[in-house]
Amino acid sequence: MKNALLCVTSALVLAWASSAHAQAPTAGNLEKLSDFKTTGTPMDIPHVPQTGAKADAIKKNLARIKLPRGFKIGLYAIVPDARHIAVGPQGVVTFVGTRKSKVWAVTDRDKDRVADEVKEFAPSISFAIPNGVCFSRDGFLFIAEQNRVLVFPAAEFFYEGPDVAAFVVVKQGELIPPEEESYNHTSRVCRIGPDDKLYITLGQPFNVYAPEKMEPYKKSGIGGIVRMSREGKDRDVFATGVRNSVGMDFNPRDRTLWFTDNQVDGMGDNQPPGELNRADKAGMNFGFPYFGGGKTRTNEYKNQTPPADVTYPQVEMDAHAADLGMTFYNGRMFPQNYRNGIFSAQHGSWNRTTPVGARVMFTRLKDDGTADKTEVFADGWLTENGEYLGRPVDVAQLPDGSLLVSDDFAGAIYRIWYEGR
Amino acid sequence: MPSHRRTVRRIAVAALLLATAAPAGAGDVAAGRRKALACQACHGLDGLSKLPDAPHLAGQPERYLVKSLDEYRKGVRKNELMTLVVKDLSDQDIADLASYYSAIEVSAQPPK
Repeated sequence: MKNALLCVTSALVLAWASSAHAQAPTAGNLEKLSDFKTTGTPMDIPHVPQTGAKADAIKKNLARIKLPRGFKIGLYAIVPDARHIAVGPQGVVTFVGTRKSKVWAVTDRDKDRVADEVKEFAPSISFAIPNGVCFSRDGFLFIAEQNRVLVFPAAEFFYEGPDVAAFVVVKQGELIPPEEESYNHTSRVCRIGPDDKLYITLGQPFNVYAPEKMEPYKKSGIGGIVRMSREGKDRDVFATGVRNSVGMDFNPRDRTLWFTDNQVDGMGDNQPPGELNRADKAGMNFGFPYFGGGKTRTNEYKNQTPPADVTYPQVEMDAHAADLGMTFYNGRMFPQNYRNGIFSAQHGSWNRTTPVGARVMFTRLKDDGTADKTEVFADGWLTENGEYLGRPVDVAQLPDGSLLVSDDFAGAIYRIWYEGR
Repeated sequence: MPSHRRTVRRIAVAALLLATAAPAGAGDVAAGRRKALACQACHGLDGLSKLPDAPHLAGQPERYLVKSLDEYRKGVRKNELMTLVVKDLSDQDIADLASYYSAIEVSAQPPK
């Protein structure tokens, strides 16, 4: 019965998605938009329905979520395939990436802290795995796809229509060599650093790559983090020895870059640990593929001597919990002890015998800027039977200090706020 | 119209093929559902794909599921994720998983 219901819901969503977007974007539209020309894409952008059986089912599931005292969680928006989140600096729109072909624009028009409108962003452009979305402080939206990077100046202004100002930062096929394009580990995340440069994580496509990949990957920054100017120039490799980072953020206090990393599969349920890392300068090596997570050596490289300068993670997370998106919290809504700490999302394990994860974690920092304690902040998306009701992907702070959480399993964005007692 | 004898022979051949391809034990749906916890992140407990690169499994022919898992296990088919997860599966695990996913009822509505 439940399965049948799920099937019906999915079929409805599928039917809606295919009928609403019968009009495929044509090649050449990006060039037109870069030239401030219209593309002829229909003006009406269909909205994603925000009420109905799906919304009710998600709200019911949220009643199971456990949070520290005084915190509440609610459904913010239905957003199919919701991945990484970029909150517009003007507080107008929140953009949400996917691992498919769409980017969503989410608007809370009446400011009741529940979105009323979810529609496709830039439907005149066709995207491929537009997972990474990030804003510069001056309102430029960057979208890092599998193998291209675009920038949308004044995205919060143009998004109302199908034609938006759009420019190429990294041409198709130049973020990584096209022959390295994989279905595995090609969800990018991006951030604009305190140096006003664009940082992008580049997962390497394998579980553990073969030795002959080491040199070319080091050069291109695959299995690492690259950085470049906002125009896509002066590219260099910022960090190496990373397996597949799908979350990063700068600590505004000391400008260090923190990032999560997903570690090696196939070494059993309880090793190696997941990682939260800290890079305080360029050129650091975080140990992969010699280390599969934490200080656990990979079987493939166990007989080789690792580089002497490997940096180990600040926090070792539960094995296979899949730490993804993260953000520093500097809002005023949550109690003082959450300020300047890190919220991070665990997607949940994909092949562990007993699933673990599907939570939001909180990591406190010490006065010297290194990690102190990590604790579970929100959980309950994994039932006692091991079934996923949702899988958190990313966390982001709204201007009011509340926290958004994306979920690509349920296809939703949640909002966590503090009411106190 | 094919002769009666030829038809009989065809059925016999088909039965033989079935017998050789089927795993040792018959699958158990309930056990399959428990074991499917390790599949749900990509294929869903409902058998509907949760990842852009994972196929739906709901209602797939049982034999096809057994064959696919067995081919991943033998290395005939390779996939960065599947190759990893099947390596420790027994014939019984495969039979259970196949009977669970094939038992999920689906209906299809082609576009008009």
